[in-house]
Amino acid sequence: MDHRSSIEINTEWDIVAARQLGRNEAKSTGFGTVDQARITTAISELARNIYLYAGKGKIEIEPITVGQRTGLLIIASDEGPGIADLQKVMEDGYTTSGGLGAGMPGVKRLMDDFRIETEVGVGTTITATKWLH
Amino acid sequence: MKMRIPILKLKDTLIVSIQVELDDQTALQFQEDLLDQLHKTSARGVVIDLTPIDFIDSFIAKVLGDVIHMTSLMGAKVVITGIQPSVAITLIELGIRLENVTTALDLENGLEKLTRELEA
Amino acid sequence: MAMNEVMRKSISDNIDTITKRWVEQMKGNSSERFLDLMPASIVETTSREFTELMTSNLSDQEKVDKERLDEFTEKIIHFGWSIKFINRAIDTFSSVVYELFYENGILNDGNLRKGVSIFANWINPLRESIIEEYSTKWERTDSLQKIALQELSASLIPVFDKISVMPLVGTIDTERAKLIMENLLEGVVKQRAEVVLLDITGVPVVDTMVAHHIIQAADAVRLVGAKCMLVGIRPEIAQTIVTLGINLTDFSTTSTLRRGMQKALQMTGRTIVEEE
Repeated sequence: MDHRSSIEINTEWDIVAARQLGRNEAKSTGFGTVDQARITTAISELARNIYLYAGKGKIEIEPITVGQRTGLLIIASDEGPGIADLQKVMEDGYTTSGGLGAGMPGVKRLMDDFRIETEVGVGTTITATKWLH
Repeated sequence: MKMRIPILKLKDTLIVSIQVELDDQTALQFQEDLLDQLHKTSARGVVIDLTPIDFIDSFIAKVLGDVIHMTSLMGAKVVITGIQPSVAITLIELGIRLENVTTALDLENGLEKLTRELEA
Repeated sequence: MAMNEVMRKSISDNIDTITKRWVEQMKGNSSERFLDLMPASIVETTSREFTELMTSNLSDQEKVDKERLDEFTEKIIHFGWSIKFINRAIDTFSSVVYELFYENGILNDGNLRKGVSIFANWINPLRESIIEEYSTKWERTDSLQKIALQELSASLIPVFDKISVMPLVGTIDTERAKLIMENLLEGVVKQRAEVVLLDITGVPVVDTMVAHHIIQAADAVRLVGAKCMLVGIRPEIAQTIVTLGINLTDFSTTSTLRRGMQKALQMTGRTIVEEE
């Protein structure tokens, strides 16, 4: 029953497409307005990171059920340069793009579960989940 | 595909109501248009209403913050109105505080606040 | 007659004796005195219901009377019986019935093995069902209580035009902080409040985490276009705040709700005057 939707990120417009998909999925999973905003924002941040640092990659969104809990799983993956200093990336205020540096730690706070797997020269996969309460 | 956000002038105030989801290009275009208008009209205040906006990510927040900063450099005052509760919560959790910004519940309230601050 | 039939008949013939002995033994047992605290009439009906429930599936093994079980567990949860007590109630019941079977010769050293097996097939599924039912019901009660607590724990009260108050009572954890923030902001927008007073008189401990949540809430209130004031800061809270190095200089604070209210009226251009 669960389906996984996927958006390829190649251009700036795909960031908009990804967050629109995220908003719709969040709505149909039954999230309230605040969680919808959290999910949409998190996807926007993840998609933008792919666009800025890897050039291309994809965002996948899947409604999941584990035991009694229902949630939305977001996977952002790219085959870009990878993250050399993971610890720095997770620090508030760290940025290499001239942005606000809210990116990764912000996404972690917006979501319930958050995991990064990265290898320099191979790519990065970020998995984040928001659970329905 | 580029969209333009309409900027209205009312006496010496510019009024902007952002009704659509902002993509990066539209946001940057808006920044440029607003500064242009500010220069042309020599308006003293700007009210930006965000009531219909249901999320703001760090990029849009940065553009907004820059707009506010640039506007004040040009000697005008910005009031942001209608930030939704869900948007405010998300911004705070992202770690974006938008300090030194005057805010108001809605457009009407915002215009009042602006008038008061300009008179002071 | 099959042995379980004999057992069933003996039990239903002696149900009064069983109930009476069960109550005596339960009362005699010292650790938990649920029965002593209940009125005699209720003890009688409850014990009767218990023994009847215990014997209800003897004729038809494996199957437990769901409806009766449901009703009974509901009742004992209401009485506040602990799971330990229920377990002992079942053990006591078993030993009372064993004794009885020995007394009237249904069980003897010769058929003990068979008797024990029938007995186990009868009591064990019952015990499992009762405990399972009890824990599901308890979990449900627990989650309902949590919801009830959440509902009651964070409401924004519109006191005057443009001024609202949120009294916070009890410990604030991350889960509650999120809920408080949502209620606070939705309320500010709905009530068109320009100043909100966050009253922490009823919050027992303000540590760095709680302070962090309060600061975040105040920040979010500012974003939607209102001002947040922290009131009800008790001396010991002021001490912890300073000792922990928490920076609250960004928003206004007062010791009491009354002074906060005066300040809020001032901020919205009003004042309280006494009639001559």
